[in-house]
Amino acid sequence: MSEIAAAGVRAARPGRLGAGAGVARGAPDVRRLLQLALAGLWLLDGVLQYQAFMFSKGFSDMLADSASGNPGVVARPITWDAALVGHHLAALNAIFATIQLLIGIGIAWRPTVRVALATSVAWSLGVWWFGEGLGMVLTGDVSPVNGAPGAVILYALLAVLLWPSDRPGRLAPFVAARAVGAPVARALWLVLWLGLAYFALLPGNRAPQALHDMIAGMTDGEPGWLAALDRGAASVVAHQGLAASIVLAAVLVIVAAGVYLPAPAARGTLVLAIVLAAMIWVFGEAFGEIMTGGATDPNSGPLLALLALAYWPAPARTTPAPVAVVEEGAAAS
Amino acid sequence: MIPSWILDIFAAVMLVVAAVSAARLVAASPRRHRTRPAALADIDVAHLLMAIAMAGMLVPGLRTLPDGVWEVVFALMTAWFAYRVAQDAQVSGARALAGGRCAPHLIHAGAMLYMFAAVSAPAGHGPGRMGGMPGGGMSGMGTLELPFLALLFALVLVGYTIWDLDQLSGPGTSGHYSVAAARVTPAGPVLAGVGAAAGPGATASVAVAEPATVVVAEPAEETPVVPPASAPADGTGVLAPWVATGCRIAMGVTMAFMLVIMI
Repeated sequence: MSEIAAAGVRAARPGRLGAGAGVARGAPDVRRLLQLALAGLWLLDGVLQYQAFMFSKGFSDMLADSASGNPGVVARPITWDAALVGHHLAALNAIFATIQLLIGIGIAWRPTVRVALATSVAWSLGVWWFGEGLGMVLTGDVSPVNGAPGAVILYALLAVLLWPSDRPGRLAPFVAARAVGAPVARALWLVLWLGLAYFALLPGNRAPQALHDMIAGMTDGEPGWLAALDRGAASVVAHQGLAASIVLAAVLVIVAAGVYLPAPAARGTLVLAIVLAAMIWVFGEAFGEIMTGGATDPNSGPLLALLALAYWPAPARTTPAPVAVVEEGAAAS
Repeated sequence: MIPSWILDIFAAVMLVVAAVSAARLVAASPRRHRTRPAALADIDVAHLLMAIAMAGMLVPGLRTLPDGVWEVVFALMTAWFAYRVAQDAQVSGARALAGGRCAPHLIHAGAMLYMFAAVSAPAGHGPGRMGGMPGGGMSGMGTLELPFLALLFALVLVGYTIWDLDQLSGPGTSGHYSVAAARVTPAGPVLAGVGAAAGPGATASVAVAEPATVVVAEPAEETPVVPPASAPADGTGVLAPWVATGCRIAMGVTMAFMLVIMI
């Protein structure tokens, strides 16, 4: 049998990865593309975890810092974990880096996508607690501009929403709804973005110089052009903390509600979400501070954008039902 | 400081890639394999040279040539693959740039050239790991100038690696990146499905479709191609397409690793 024939047999086999509702012949499988983007981010995380800084005491100190301000029940395990990592820095950090590398490779390698996504959820939840102090959301010292609610929890959310299965029945209105259903997917989106709006209005973020100081504080160790960009952005919001917080919260609420709107309006709010994510990534997060040599991930900006793409309304089906389904990603090009 | 054993592991992987690439060149030499187009050797040669150079960067004891020589080698390699991509672009347009057969190699060669040309040593460095680099600074590692370029290269390399992994494990696996399909001739009749299923980065499969199977295959979206009728049953053993793709994946990960740790 030829290779094409072999592909055809695979395509016709039901119940396989991605074979199911909504994967029409000839249409690029957006979910697989988003999975690959997620895989790329994991792979990048793995590589970043191998940086020299992560093998220094600075890394265990960074972990310990995430305990400050958190309730005791959250903080104590973080402190214990930071001490453990400090004692076995090289071995444990190498393991951490390799796990993340393997998660990325596993998601990209089709036969292991489920295992890798499931592992990524467990790993993300662990890192969210032990590495990010639950994103500091319980401390009151958190802002959507600098990575709330913790980038790593967004990896877990994406893994759930991009899980390679389809609910029987109606076609999903967007990719994120394929595995968990539209009501659950919309609720998750609403909670996330309303949460971000709430964080934007926290007292610490409403102070006149709060946003200015946050953005200006990102310039250390950055290349000159990026530092200049951040300084420029910081000057724009100088002494405008309250107004900036209100505007930001209003935009976040609009984005949160967007997925409940009709498709054209939803697309508009999703574009808004992507633009906002890009601005947060560049001005608030300085590309995750990757260029300082001390970043463990690219931060929340790219993940928020990826999430928005997962909610992009599917085009209305005007043609007859597909005559064949293909294995996920087969037509992605 | 990065433990030396981690750099040793990556260097060992690169030596394996170099050995495999050398084996592919030997197995595909004109005397042994008359039907394999000689031009396809460029990819294996590129893999061989890049793997040797990277092993030398990671472990000073494996250093082979002076850095200046490597700069010239990779400048020439970059120019060569730029030429090949331009050739591909004449046939398949922008897709050659986005993911044609030679585009990943152009990025790999460019990244190597950048690493050798842009590395600088922080003051007060001594010999140590990564000493094969022109720099080799604090903690034995050099740092790269224009770090945004390093990030950009790393992101593109990660992207190609992920795409390669997906294609390697996907439908029609054996047809992707087929060495025997590299010199195909644009033609009228369509070998349905191969191009579309492959996506960017892939070339047409050499397989000849049986009539019944064409029905379920994807319609080709790219310029239809047909392999030469006498296309050999290439792609077995060490010459299998997945071997070259596997080498590229290993190099992509290692190169991204090196770029990031030298930021």
